[in-house]
Amino acid sequence: MKIYIKSCFFAILLLSVFSCKKPTENIKLVVDTDILKYTAFIRVTDAANGTLPANAKITISGAAADNIYEISGKKNFNLVQGVVTIGLGPALTPTASNPVTCTATITANGYTTATRTITFTADKSQQIINIQVAKVGSTTPPIVVPDPPVYPTPVVLNFIGTCRNRSDFEIRPSVYIMFRETGSNQPYQYLGYMDKGVLNTTTLGQGKTYDFQTSFNGENLSVTQKIEQASYSLTLDMGNACSNF
Amino acid sequence: MYRKFVFLIPLLILLGAGHVAAQINNSGDLILHQQSVKLNLGSQGIGAEYAYGIDKKVALRLGINVIPVSVNDAFDIADFNSTSKVSAKFTNIHLLADYTPFKSAPAFRLVGGAAYFVRGRGSMQVQPKDNYTYGDIVLTPDQVGYLNLDVDWKGIAPYAGIGLFKVMPKRHFNVNVDLGTYYLKEPDVKIVGTGILKGNNTQEGQLKDNVKDYRWLPVFQLNFSYKL
Repeated sequence: MKIYIKSCFFAILLLSVFSCKKPTENIKLVVDTDILKYTAFIRVTDAANGTLPANAKITISGAAADNIYEISGKKNFNLVQGVVTIGLGPALTPTASNPVTCTATITANGYTTATRTITFTADKSQQIINIQVAKVGSTTPPIVVPDPPVYPTPVVLNFIGTCRNRSDFEIRPSVYIMFRETGSNQPYQYLGYMDKGVLNTTTLGQGKTYDFQTSFNGENLSVTQKIEQASYSLTLDMGNACSNF
Repeated sequence: MYRKFVFLIPLLILLGAGHVAAQINNSGDLILHQQSVKLNLGSQGIGAEYAYGIDKKVALRLGINVIPVSVNDAFDIADFNSTSKVSAKFTNIHLLADYTPFKSAPAFRLVGGAAYFVRGRGSMQVQPKDNYTYGDIVLTPDQVGYLNLDVDWKGIAPYAGIGLFKVMPKRHFNVNVDLGTYYLKEPDVKIVGTGILKGNNTQEGQLKDNVKDYRWLPVFQLNFSYKL
């Protein structure tokens, strides 16, 4: 978003005659994405082995479905590597006496259809919904995915969303972040919720390199960083999400 | 309105010059213990002063100036249908000394002093003009929020300049001119956003760096004097 000054009026009044820099030079317009205040991070895995079921699809139904959006504000719900974030539009806010519910239905070729009721309550802005789907006829008990290790040194990650064609524009994403150690070929694990671009975690080990990933508007956004200090400022290319603003 | 003001300036200078031609012929006049009151008009807005001659060549002026101006839609932000308002509000209380160095040229003065800027604020406010969409969600202007950028020079500022035409009227009235500059303190900045623009306070450092050299406040001022 470029800022064009139409009039020299302000510049004259504000002493620009002796100064080279425009007051707005290199100023970026920063936009937050926390428009959906109540969100749910849905992750779908194969119950038998924790892998991603191929061609899995999600549909959202229920009385509140009209006010449920993907985190990008779109009504398209697509699982990207098994995950999608949904949330309540600003027109609907849960209260203590009136929580909001919807139903997520997962279908995938060769798998039994799974449904899950998701409840948005006033006291819980974020929630993780793990949905395990089983192959038709499978009797294998669902696996239990171990929690990632906890390290003594907390790490603060500041994510800045950028747009390739809009250098004077920045996004502070509020999204759920997945991570895995680079080169491990392990499935991504849930790291945490990034609130206005900031995530504080004890799940990252010093000296290790990690891939961080989130999905937004049906697209994977990722960045890699080696952790060697207590905080990092990471740039996240927002890709097609930039057209959302 | 602003253009009209600009056209008025040369006219007023010509009027003032008429008075001054007569004054220059009285170059031997002393200003000691003379008093006058002045109405100021110029780049410092409007103001008033009291002047007193403390020496044959030196007069002190104590006064106040006020700039209360604002302009709507002074700039556009691409891809963001918005209205903007730019304003500058400066109020200073100043004490200046007029020194007439040459007896043969009483219409030329060296002027120095200082002002305390009670208010010295430049502001830009940006608000969305109509509804804004986030994906398929229509946001109201209130949900999008607004953005305020404030630059504040409040504080003490020294002044240096020259004066044209005599500081005290020979008879009842005269007009003289001040050309000079204040050197303001390094400004403080503040960016306040609401709604989805709340994160723009992160740009305060950049804005402060951009305006840190905006310290020279030029003065071009006409003074309409009445001798007491």
